[in-house]
Amino acid sequence: MRWLDRLGLAVATLWLALGAANADTTVKWLHIEANPAQVKIWEEVARSYEAAHPGTRIEMQFLENEAYKAKLPTILQSKDRPNIIYSWAGGVLKSQIEAGVLEDITDQIKGYSDSLTPAALAAFSRDGRIYGLPTALSQVGFLYNKELMAKAKVDAAGIKTWDDLLAAVKTLKAAGVTPIVAGGADKWPLHFYWTHLAVRIGGKAAFDAALRGENGGFAGETFQKSGELFKQLVDLQPFQNGFLGFKNPQAVGYFGDGKAAMTLAISTVYHLQRALAADKKGLAEDQIGWFDFPMVPGGKGEPSDTLGGITGWLVTKGSPKETVDFLKFFVSKDVQTRLAAGNFIIPVVKGADAGLNNAFMKQIAANLSKSRYHQNFYDQSLGPSVGRVVNDVTAEIAGGSMAPKDAAEAIEAAWKQGN
Amino acid sequence: MSDIDTIRPPFDPAVLYKTLFLAVVAVLVLVPLLATVLGGFKSLGELRINPFGLPQHWEWSNYADILFSQRYWQLLRNSLIISALTVTLTLITASMAAFTFAHVTFYGSSMLLSYLTLGLLFPAATAVLPLFIKVRDLGLLDTYFGVALPQVAFSLAMSVLLLRRFFKDLPPELLEAALMDGCSYINFFRYVTLPLSRPILATVGTITFVHSWNAYLLPLVMLNSDALYPWPLGVMVYQGEYSSEWHLILAFITLTILPTIILFIFAQKHIVAGLTAGAVKG
Amino acid sequence: MRRRADSLAPLTAVQPQPAWPAALRGLLADNRLAVLVLFLPPALLLFTLFVVLPIGEAAWYSGFNWNGFGRPTNWIGFDNYRFVLQTRAFWLALRNNGLIIVVSLLIQLPLALALALMLAERFRGAVALRMLFFLPYILAEIATGLIFSFVYDGDYGLVASIWRLFGAETPHLLASTDTAMLAVLIVIVWKYFGFHMMLFIAALQGMDRSLIEAARVDGATRAQLLRHVVIPWLYPTIRLSVFFAIVGSLQLFDLVMPLTRGGPADSSNTLVSFLYNNGISRMRVGYGSAVGVILFVICVSFAFTYQRWFLRDE
Repeated sequence: MRWLDRLGLAVATLWLALGAANADTTVKWLHIEANPAQVKIWEEVARSYEAAHPGTRIEMQFLENEAYKAKLPTILQSKDRPNIIYSWAGGVLKSQIEAGVLEDITDQIKGYSDSLTPAALAAFSRDGRIYGLPTALSQVGFLYNKELMAKAKVDAAGIKTWDDLLAAVKTLKAAGVTPIVAGGADKWPLHFYWTHLAVRIGGKAAFDAALRGENGGFAGETFQKSGELFKQLVDLQPFQNGFLGFKNPQAVGYFGDGKAAMTLAISTVYHLQRALAADKKGLAEDQIGWFDFPMVPGGKGEPSDTLGGITGWLVTKGSPKETVDFLKFFVSKDVQTRLAAGNFIIPVVKGADAGLNNAFMKQIAANLSKSRYHQNFYDQSLGPSVGRVVNDVTAEIAGGSMAPKDAAEAIEAAWKQGN
Repeated sequence: MSDIDTIRPPFDPAVLYKTLFLAVVAVLVLVPLLATVLGGFKSLGELRINPFGLPQHWEWSNYADILFSQRYWQLLRNSLIISALTVTLTLITASMAAFTFAHVTFYGSSMLLSYLTLGLLFPAATAVLPLFIKVRDLGLLDTYFGVALPQVAFSLAMSVLLLRRFFKDLPPELLEAALMDGCSYINFFRYVTLPLSRPILATVGTITFVHSWNAYLLPLVMLNSDALYPWPLGVMVYQGEYSSEWHLILAFITLTILPTIILFIFAQKHIVAGLTAGAVKG
Repeated sequence: MRRRADSLAPLTAVQPQPAWPAALRGLLADNRLAVLVLFLPPALLLFTLFVVLPIGEAAWYSGFNWNGFGRPTNWIGFDNYRFVLQTRAFWLALRNNGLIIVVSLLIQLPLALALALMLAERFRGAVALRMLFFLPYILAEIATGLIFSFVYDGDYGLVASIWRLFGAETPHLLASTDTAMLAVLIVIVWKYFGFHMMLFIAALQGMDRSLIEAARVDGATRAQLLRHVVIPWLYPTIRLSVFFAIVGSLQLFDLVMPLTRGGPADSSNTLVSFLYNNGISRMRVGYGSAVGVILFVICVSFAFTYQRWFLRDE
């Protein structure tokens, strides 16, 4: 059995070779950014940090958004986990803090934290301790293709109410234009409709009441009505053919290819569509318009209320101290101004919004600063498992397999189950 | 049954139907595969208008870019490491256990064998969450062994049964004579049983290898850093990244299944025998 | 063979056990103890650690509401099972597993059998065809799934371009709750029929030719031959093939992920993909373990029943 011995030897050698560690400090940074133009800037920042700090290596790792969310719970359990992870704050962050997998960075960023927008920083704090650094804000609303809207003679600026939107969809369909593109396979792009309707119908009060379990919780009237209004839209078949099979990047690319008139999306899609369009050029800036999510007559929400994200970076437990140092370097006025100038983000560092040089981004920044109720994405703010149920049921409404009432009740049931 | 055909009249419509039927099935099997291979040679635009035919313009760069990328080779390397670990460990542990069950009678032998046979009854997926917790607690998360060891454990049942049957079928006179000459059981195992059992070892090795090479769920749950990803995870990530750029995805798929197909062509008899015999005798 | 193995018995200690030290000495003398001590534990340890214990732990964890961090503390009894049974998607997944079994039995098995009967004969190309039909089986499920997600793709796929030939609007088979599972079922048949065919061919090749000769002398027609000689000969293999089809359905996962990830709206989940989507990717260890236990109970009770009723001779 000499071959067995030889094989054993080979395996052992291999093992040793793999185990050979390198002596430098490596900061592993896991991100989900699909826009190569933005990643390029990040990389430049990382390289310049390395140049200034010999012996420290910044290693960037990428996971696609959906894969990231599915994988994160297991990633965090690995002892080899990345040091910097992406976060949308909210309930998911809360459960990560409770699980004790995050580093409390309050003391390490003392002084520096004053440079950040307080509301954004608050999203990454709990009980006065800070667990991450915010990096960007975003708003959810309708992006539209000016050319297609004009072709169907729809006045986008005139879409103020939900009924206006339904009418616009009908007109677009009649003109042979695909009204809306949505990445239904990922589910969360659909949950924007249901959530934003709830923001419009019930306002902040309804959400807070539901969290306390009042008024029937998430099975209450506000949330049932959100489902019903969403159903009205779904019944018009406004989405592209096969929308339930489209992942979000495909849907964004579809919009960038000019194949659909509208998309309900995060404001960053304004730029992302270029990278994901088939020709890598997408729609020119002057071809895209924006209108806020329409109002619902009789709704308690304010027109200035917004739905969107506060995104940032978390530091995982046991990371080298260089991690926070790099993050401070990364979320600095200088870098944020640069990213704002590229119109990639609405910055969170005070004064960095001076870098915004594009009318669209300026408008979003103005919306967000005007907003007194900025609702974080439900699928994040309600925690990892309830949030996923919100996504599940909105996809079911969109697929016609679940009634709005049942959907609301399913969310409430999940909320009561907890976790 | 060819005998039956010889007594039939020469112009038999049944033969025609049969040929037609076989041809249809063959086409249905072949077309998706060929379209995949050829699709990798097309541009995205051509793929859309001409998904079936030969490329009008051969885009060798789709394949070349992947072949010259570190990513592709890293995936294959990882798969090879995991599969080799799994096969090696399975063969060693299973043949030792099978040898004991075949040649040493001891109290509880049949009970222990039935205990191992339990493993045939349910798939790894049933207990994948506790398995994940276990691998985490052992500190094996994100290591090759974190994937290989559970794979070995789940392939043991079938392997031990196959090997034990083969060992028992070896001429018993061999063991008698060896023991008479003062040869120990262990030496007998190393110098007689194993060399004589090459065919069954190859069969068990093949089954284990193919399963491990193709496995998705366990690596998906146990591995986090893409530096360790085996190819099934890698090709899924690739597809996620290039979402609609099917020409690149098809080229990538083709290249990742290429090793399997090459192996199949060169060792087809072995693989077929291994996979079906394993099934029948299990 | 059995009998021959039994002749080994006198060699291997079945003698009445003497007192311990003497027995120890006796065992060491012919190394039997060494074999027991060295050869069995690795396999038993691995098997216990990674197969048996996790199943037991699944039963234990399924009583907790636990997100996997630290140790489980929040005991909720059987609530997780209640939650699972209340989840609509779970029943859909169960239904889909049933569908897979039905399709395997009604379409895949007859197809495999028919092909086996044709290809068991010797003619030019028979071996090549066998190999071709077996090829899908050795391709990884992931690769097969990806290939077919291309085949079904509404924009670039093969199906779409066939539709376009007829001027119809291209379907997105994987994106509709009505057709996604159907599309998955087709892929399942495509992938696995060759394996079952090979099982049948192997059995046919072991068939006793004199049986056919005898029947032919008696003037049996081809159909009669098939019904009264060939098929009965294949019964054990058919039962085995059914067994594999059912077990395969219960663990199907890899194929579903690249095709639909269980969607849209959970319409094409199998039990395992449901377990992944709702347990693992949300790290609901308790809930996922409950699903695992249910799956385990289904598998084991099926295996035992089947073995008792149908595989007695095996």
